[in-house]
Amino acid sequence: MSIDLDFDLIIDNLPLLLKGAAVTLEITALSVGIGLLIGMVVGIARLSNFKAIRWLAGIYVDFIRGTPLLVQIFLVYFALPKILGMRIDPFFAAVAACSINSGAYVAEIFRSGIQSIDKGQFEASRALGLNWFQSMKFVIMPQAFKRIIPPLGNEFIAMLKDSSLVSVIGFEELTRTGQMIISRTYAVFEVWMVVAILYLIMTLCISRLVAVLEKRFNTSKR
Amino acid sequence: MSEKTMISVKHLTKKFGDVSVLKDINLEIKEKEVVCIIGPSGSGKSTILRCLNYLEEPSGGDIVIDNIKLEKGTNLNAIRKEVGMVFQRFNLFPNMTVLQNIMLAPVEVRKISKQKAEEKALALLRRVGLEHKASSYPDELSGGQQQRVAIARALAMNPEVLLFDEPTSALDPEMVKEVLDVMKALAKEGMTMVVVTHEMGFAKEVADRVMFVDGGYILEENEPEEFFSNPKNERTKSFLSKIL
Repeated sequence: MSIDLDFDLIIDNLPLLLKGAAVTLEITALSVGIGLLIGMVVGIARLSNFKAIRWLAGIYVDFIRGTPLLVQIFLVYFALPKILGMRIDPFFAAVAACSINSGAYVAEIFRSGIQSIDKGQFEASRALGLNWFQSMKFVIMPQAFKRIIPPLGNEFIAMLKDSSLVSVIGFEELTRTGQMIISRTYAVFEVWMVVAILYLIMTLCISRLVAVLEKRFNTSKR
Repeated sequence: MSEKTMISVKHLTKKFGDVSVLKDINLEIKEKEVVCIIGPSGSGKSTILRCLNYLEEPSGGDIVIDNIKLEKGTNLNAIRKEVGMVFQRFNLFPNMTVLQNIMLAPVEVRKISKQKAEEKALALLRRVGLEHKASSYPDELSGGQQQRVAIARALAMNPEVLLFDEPTSALDPEMVKEVLDVMKALAKEGMTMVVVTHEMGFAKEVADRVMFVDGGYILEENEPEEFFSNPKNERTKSFLSKIL
């Protein structure tokens, strides 16, 4: 069995695929960015002294981690419009679903990062008269953040790959673009190869970036 | 020592779950007084100290510091500004330089200018003999140096009272003296100090009063000479016989 690769077809469709890759990167960055904000708030809420807040944050994390992202995407894109009584733009649905999803995972990263900081740090800060917020801002978070860079990098990479799921609601990111080219050219092998390689290039770049960031934080002192 | 009462504690109790750590603590500390609290481990002596700045919330009783009653809901930060604390394990902030460690609270809590805070921090470092370490990070210092920085950090807030929670227990023996020397100097200058310690030599030499805590009560308190030479309580006697 031999496979003849149609290079012309690859080259002809490469601009489209690259555009798809850019869109994938865009929704991933947006989702992880928003997820970071959600995750920071929810992660801290998970450690709150108030039971109700802890409980709510716990439900959110459990629900998101306990259900498939694909189902969450369907919920946002198909079910939510029924409640709102209006159509939701695929881009908005994609970013919303991915952000909410990412937020839960990032929350757990923040929670464990904060918990890994010695309790004496918070006590020393409070004993100096700094309030809770100041203690978090100046003492706890800078130390926790350094420790959570590697797991955050993993989350970014996982999200980049999982974002391929939003192709099912017709949002034209990299995977959906591949499907559309195939439906036109039937070049299954070439297109999926190139799609896979493009994902690989993006994830490799991110893991390199995270490694550099990690190193920078470690050498530029604590 | 003056006649002004700095700390007054009445019927303080503290429970952790079902365990009563402090059963009925009563004490009064005057301005400029140096009080050492001694006792076996687990006796509750550190818990007393931690209640004094509300790092532990008391289960019952009253604490009044500098005429302000400590209560949940009162602005605890206002009291914590006036009550400095030095910890057994230093608890310096590893993400900041020595200078930044000392400047943080004066700048963020007292809202004094960075320039003034830095001048003050450098003066304090000179006082504890570490001005050459201003731009070092805590993990580049020895334990004794870290504890001296921690004392400077507490002093930077101009506290009315300094609490020491076994300040030399985590130190190598040869570093104990450098920390005790700084504390002695502070005592001489009239700082009000409450020191939980196992350093009996320090208690004898520097304290105005020594308290013996066991089982959640203050069992005996006296001036150091009388306390060490003529203890009255049986438990105090047996404790002192074991450690002296």
